[in-house]
Amino acid sequence: MSIMTYNGGSIVAMTGKNCVAIACDKRFGIQGTALADNFQRIFQVGPHMFVGLPGLGTDTQTVYQKIRFRQNLYELKENRKMSPKVLLSMISNMLYERRFGPYFVEPMVVGLDPETAQPIVGNMDLIGCVNIPSDFVVGGPSSDQLYGMCETLWEPNLEPDDLFETIAQALVNACERNAVSGWGAVVHIIEQDKVTVRHVKTRMD
Amino acid sequence: MALVTKQILDTPIQHHFSPYSDNGGTTVAVAGPDYAIIASDTRLSAGYSIYTREQSKLFTLSETTVLGSSGCWCDILSLTRIIEARMQMYLHEHNKVMSTTSLAKMISIMMYGKRFFPYYTSTIIAGLDPEGKGCVYSYDPIGHTERANFRAGGSSGALLQALLDNQLGFKNQENVDKTPVSLEKAITVVKDAFTAAAERDIYTGDGVHLCAITKDGIKEFNFELRKD
Repeated sequence: MSIMTYNGGSIVAMTGKNCVAIACDKRFGIQGTALADNFQRIFQVGPHMFVGLPGLGTDTQTVYQKIRFRQNLYELKENRKMSPKVLLSMISNMLYERRFGPYFVEPMVVGLDPETAQPIVGNMDLIGCVNIPSDFVVGGPSSDQLYGMCETLWEPNLEPDDLFETIAQALVNACERNAVSGWGAVVHIIEQDKVTVRHVKTRMD
Repeated sequence: MALVTKQILDTPIQHHFSPYSDNGGTTVAVAGPDYAIIASDTRLSAGYSIYTREQSKLFTLSETTVLGSSGCWCDILSLTRIIEARMQMYLHEHNKVMSTTSLAKMISIMMYGKRFFPYYTSTIIAGLDPEGKGCVYSYDPIGHTERANFRAGGSSGALLQALLDNQLGFKNQENVDKTPVSLEKAITVVKDAFTAAAERDIYTGDGVHLCAITKDGIKEFNFELRKD
């Protein structure tokens, strides 16, 4: 029994052409028993920035609150918005403070840089080792399946509509081959002038 | 000094033997209306070392059946050797070559025969059934078997099965033609699958050995994969 897969819930994020996407399933359970189909693991933390927190459900919520607290202090003190890269550094620093008694989450940040509008996706492990690739990041119990899907479906410079189709197919098909993921999905597409949230129907078993 | 020697002699020493090793490798098989294909990567490894970059994990059992297996390499060799012997016995007893379906059942029984000291393998067979249709059977280490239209097994099984569901089973796709894919298309999908697996799985890479089984016989192909 791994604490990281105790409650289930998988997240994937991808870059596109002047856009980014992040998607997540909605299942919350305790090992094999499904308890809810409306669990939130993706949170909006800026006009063009989202954070995804796959892992233990209670730590998802605690870490989100701690992120908001530190982000609010930063934005009041600095009088400017936080950029995705700064947010990644901040969360990384926060998690490393608990190096020997960690929160069981592997945070993921997606967004458009406030200055350059450059699409950014990044993630880290539960003690804050950061990774900022140019293509996609995955997390949660179906990350193996997501790697297989993303590695074949993703291509550079996807337009927002194509990016939605790619990320939705990657997530839904990956979750279908994982017992602790599924029960509905939600996809966020972040563009410079708008953010689109789409709820995707999936099989409910 | 004598005291130290006595202490060592009095301490129980635990001896340990580990009969299994995981030598990695991935196999993928697809069954079509009149063909079957099966492919494996050609890397043989243990932990962080690579034993060889050119060891196919496919075994041609007959004109119509090919077996692919990954996991503990010594168990794969042992299993296939005994399967081949049992096929010879069948040939001499019944004066005909064993069909893919009969072989599928026999392998299951042989594997369950070692229920309490299993062959540590992820095995898939592909071939043509007695009606000439393509068929794929997959096994767990103790002989649980299932006929399927496509299957991925071995170290990248988890990465690739979801992909095959989507690309060959047309899962979660709307407004698409869901007729089974052609042999050429199936080979392309399998090739892409191995390329993806080689990106993320350290136990899969170097090359792909692929067998296409049709009524005209078995055609073999080789593709390169990344070698790091």
